[in-house]
Amino acid sequence: MEVTFKDVSLSYDGSREILHHLNFTIPEGTLVSILGPSGCGKSTTLMMISGLLAPTSGQIFFGDEDVTKQDALQRKVGMVFQNYALYPHLNVLDNIMFPLKMAKVPKPERKKKAIELAKLVHIEDQLDKKPGSLSGGQQQRVAIARALAKEPSLLLLDEPLSNLDARLRIEMRQEIRRIQQETGVTTIFVTHDQDEALHISDHIMVLNSGQIQQFSSAETLYDNPSNLFVAQFIGEPVINTLDIADFGDELKGQIDTELLKRTQKVGIRPEALQDHDTGAETLATITTKVKTFEKFGREKNALLDFNGKRLLTTEIEAEIAEGQELPLYLQKSGFYLFDQDGTRIFGGDQDA
Amino acid sequence: MLNEKPTLKSTGKALLYLLPMLVITITFNIYPIIKSFIMSFYTKYDFFRDIVSQYGFDNFKFLFSDPDFHIAVKNTLIFVVGVVPLTVIISLAVALLLNRITWLSGLFRTVYFLPFVTSTVAIAQVWHWIYNSDYGLLNYFLGFFGVNAISWLESPRYAMLALIIMSVWKNLGFNIVLFLVGLNNINERYYQAAKIDGANSWHQFTNVTVPLLSPITFLVSVNGVIGSFKVFDEIFALFNGTPGPSKSALTIVYYLYQKFYTEWKYGIAAASGVVLFFMILLVTMFQLWYSKRHVHY
Repeated sequence: MEVTFKDVSLSYDGSREILHHLNFTIPEGTLVSILGPSGCGKSTTLMMISGLLAPTSGQIFFGDEDVTKQDALQRKVGMVFQNYALYPHLNVLDNIMFPLKMAKVPKPERKKKAIELAKLVHIEDQLDKKPGSLSGGQQQRVAIARALAKEPSLLLLDEPLSNLDARLRIEMRQEIRRIQQETGVTTIFVTHDQDEALHISDHIMVLNSGQIQQFSSAETLYDNPSNLFVAQFIGEPVINTLDIADFGDELKGQIDTELLKRTQKVGIRPEALQDHDTGAETLATITTKVKTFEKFGREKNALLDFNGKRLLTTEIEAEIAEGQELPLYLQKSGFYLFDQDGTRIFGGDQDA
Repeated sequence: MLNEKPTLKSTGKALLYLLPMLVITITFNIYPIIKSFIMSFYTKYDFFRDIVSQYGFDNFKFLFSDPDFHIAVKNTLIFVVGVVPLTVIISLAVALLLNRITWLSGLFRTVYFLPFVTSTVAIAQVWHWIYNSDYGLLNYFLGFFGVNAISWLESPRYAMLALIIMSVWKNLGFNIVLFLVGLNNINERYYQAAKIDGANSWHQFTNVTVPLLSPITFLVSVNGVIGSFKVFDEIFALFNGTPGPSKSALTIVYYLYQKFYTEWKYGIAAASGVVLFFMILLVTMFQLWYSKRHVHY
């Protein structure tokens, strides 16, 4: 189901607003991640979609229906909690059947449906166990099966992978993607981990201090960050951020003078610093000094000094020694200028 | 060391640590228990010189043919069956309400806890007045509903009921506190999950609160059963040192007390104690067996 927020704000105590005038539409049948640092209001947003929290102002629509006044019972969404919240006294089968029991589905049908779902999430061999004796990944699968049991038009996942170890996390996020594509249910996925969001979702909503920073595809977020926060939040290693004052004449002539005047911060992706001339792709050349150079696996990180500021690049191909001078070629893609409000004024597809 | 193997020396050292408590427990608990078991088989006993000339089952035979003991067993069972479920249900209900309100909840908690820290004798005196057939608050209150004055403490029909009401009220405080602890230990997430799963308030209560509270409910009921089987001081204080009008509140412990202190029939008193012990054991074992299937830790 399509979810629309119209000017939704929320404050817990009436004075301190946590979410400010959210406006967005989540298209039907997609998997959307809400991504942001902790405390940005992403779980709160999810709670408002579920109906566990009511917005202070604004409207929430499911499709064309205004559900602002409905509570969680009436909205009938499926939700997976961060710590799963499986009923500890019920076994796996009863946990999955619980929403069906509440919906007064006859028992044989309940059981049939629950076993079907258990198969979908690959947990059918654990049906008699209590949640306490399952591993984190298994509990999570049960939680997803339970959330899907009543065939919700909307599946909400609140940081479902944060309690899992690294390898399992990668496996489970692929599982979630698979289940979402098999069932076609509109899914909203809250996470603080950009890697998770980038790999799993059709669209990503980046949230910070209660405001939407950008809502677009993963690629767009990376290539065309709408502001400095998004540029810094998305990408690993983190984008190099410099003040415009750190540059001398390197950018002059390459970029419109008016733009340069408005510029406050400069963002350079680590891969946009090449150690060789790339011709038309090269925007400018800067001179740096090598501070450290680390190599492990396929990662090569060089830490450089540029007019007293640190720069990181992953693109060094030649052998370099610490302390040596190194000219670097600034690439057009991965180079951004931001004005004093942090808004991107140069870089991305528009200037490629 | 955590992986140290027990040696003679370390065991001796441990025993030394345990010794002070062991001495007290053995002197005041273990020895009297064994002694009263043995005493229940004294059939000919000269207590002036502490000489037992004959052992046998006569004390138990006496109990099984004594109509007073039958009354005592019946009354004790009525008391247990009356007090325990009421205590569990009412204290759970009050705890649920207290858990909901935030306003003055501290004050209410204190008020409900007060009976627990008040002496039974003082409580019985207050209830003595509440139950007074001419001036009592209870009859005054019932008068509003057109109920004629009831002689709560003087009529054999109502004496047990009066005793049960007072005991339930006295037990509430502590059990409410236990239930409040249990309620606070239930993670709010389960209620949120239940709401998402379509459970209304009643279903949340039956499917989340009741099962997750079952360890506390079990504790409260076992505690209540054991305590109620041993009821004595409430009776003594409420009925001014009598077992109620026409023995209507005669319980096993009261019977034991009478045999021991007023009739000096030590063997019979001990035998009734042994019977009580096995009754409690039986019921508690039943509760344990039941809890294996219905209590979720």
